[in-house]
Amino acid sequence: MTKKRIESFIAPIIMFLLIFTGWEIIVRALKIPKWLLPMPSQIFKSMIVNFPAFWPHILVTIETVLLGFIIAVPIGILLASLITSFKVVNAALSPYVTFLVMVPLISLVPLLMLFMGYGMNVRVVTVIIQSFAVVNMNACTGFNNVPIMRQELMQSLGASRLQSYRRVILPTAASDIFTGVRLAGIFATTGCISAEYVGGNMGLGSQIIKYSQFLKTTESFACIFYVTIVGLMMYWLISFAQKKIISWKI
Amino acid sequence: MENKIFRINRISKSFGSENSDSKVEVIKEISMEILEKEFVVILGNSGCGKSTFLKILGGILPASSGNIEFNGKDYGQEIPRDVLKKFGFVFQNNNLLQWRTTEGNLRFMLEMMHLKGEQWTARIDEMLDIVGLKAYKKEYPHELSGGMRQRVGIARALVHNPDVLILDQPLGALDAITRKMLSYEILNIWKKTQKTVVMVTNNVDEALLLANRIFVLSPVLPTTISHEIQVNIPITARDENIYENQRFNELREMINDIVRSTI
Repeated sequence: MTKKRIESFIAPIIMFLLIFTGWEIIVRALKIPKWLLPMPSQIFKSMIVNFPAFWPHILVTIETVLLGFIIAVPIGILLASLITSFKVVNAALSPYVTFLVMVPLISLVPLLMLFMGYGMNVRVVTVIIQSFAVVNMNACTGFNNVPIMRQELMQSLGASRLQSYRRVILPTAASDIFTGVRLAGIFATTGCISAEYVGGNMGLGSQIIKYSQFLKTTESFACIFYVTIVGLMMYWLISFAQKKIISWKI
Repeated sequence: MENKIFRINRISKSFGSENSDSKVEVIKEISMEILEKEFVVILGNSGCGKSTFLKILGGILPASSGNIEFNGKDYGQEIPRDVLKKFGFVFQNNNLLQWRTTEGNLRFMLEMMHLKGEQWTARIDEMLDIVGLKAYKKEYPHELSGGMRQRVGIARALVHNPDVLILDQPLGALDAITRKMLSYEILNIWKKTQKTVVMVTNNVDEALLLANRIFVLSPVLPTTISHEIQVNIPITARDENIYENQRFNELREMINDIVRSTI
């Protein structure tokens, strides 16, 4: 067990070191100019030195991602509950959910900006659209996979529909729902960055664009790394919540 | 023993809408009376609709026509919710909640039926003791064997002290050895708890070991009762040596003949 734990801890660190030393050596050896591909050491240095300049943008990105995610998850689960419980709702809404999943988000952002301006609202709405659909689809799968036997158990107890939902259907579907929530965490981050890309001057996405336009590739990369860190934090947060909530998982 | 707990009158069930090609008649005019503390076994081939009948009896499905009388009251085609507390239903595949421990699964029943207090907590232990799982209170279903899970399922169906225990092929998903062991255990549980038991099975030996009366269902849809057999084997003879009992072998021969002739 401990050996396994060390392996799962050490392996990614070694891989990390290999990739970045490899990168560093190649850039140095081939004398690639900084504006084309900076060295990792320069990027890490920029991440620290320019931190005061990055910090407000990091904060805005985190805020947008979290806010959008927190709104999107309950909407996705609620909608899935309705879709799987009532045939009418399913017929009425499913095509639009599929539509939202399929349309490339980046094509919607300019339209949304037309309606809502360049502020925080448009970015949060983008994040919600991007992440609720994937929660919804996975939650639907989860609810549909609940064995009929479970419903029969509740019927044999004389339980109401709401009781069955809360006490049995929701917990049975929980692990499928969490798959969706996990994906939503990733989608929220990418959705946020795309919204920041298209317009406005706040958030890490806007900074990536700004620095690359001035050929400040090092700073651009530093922002990309910070985006990665935000994404990883989301992922860990969700995994932690999943372990706490689904403690019975085999 | 002579009190009639169930009086089932010409129950029929069909699925699909009336007057259409998709309509399937599953059960046709089944009538039976079940006595208090009796062990009734319903025997039939797989797919003959015996589980459907049991679900109607257990209040999970409504009947299409006919009526069910329970404890002297006529409830029409469906047993109402508040009466279902008097029933305990055991499912074919244990149907335990995987996020609850053994104890938690039993407590779930009590929670659903708003039964609180010391005496009910004590009853959880008592029931786990009856099925021999007192040492496994804190285990989750995936940590138990198939036979143990089914025993938890039986304990769960008994914990709220119902009048009737309904068993839907409780041994169907088990291996042959566990199946045999558990059938003796069901017999003991019935002796200890003195419940009225209605069980569905497709196994003749099991039916003869356990039943006071056996209803054989016809194998073709819509099914109906083809034979009613009184199992007059004394309770003292029902143990591991039942296979040497003369009456057992006569009845077994007879039922096998019935089953063979209807195929």
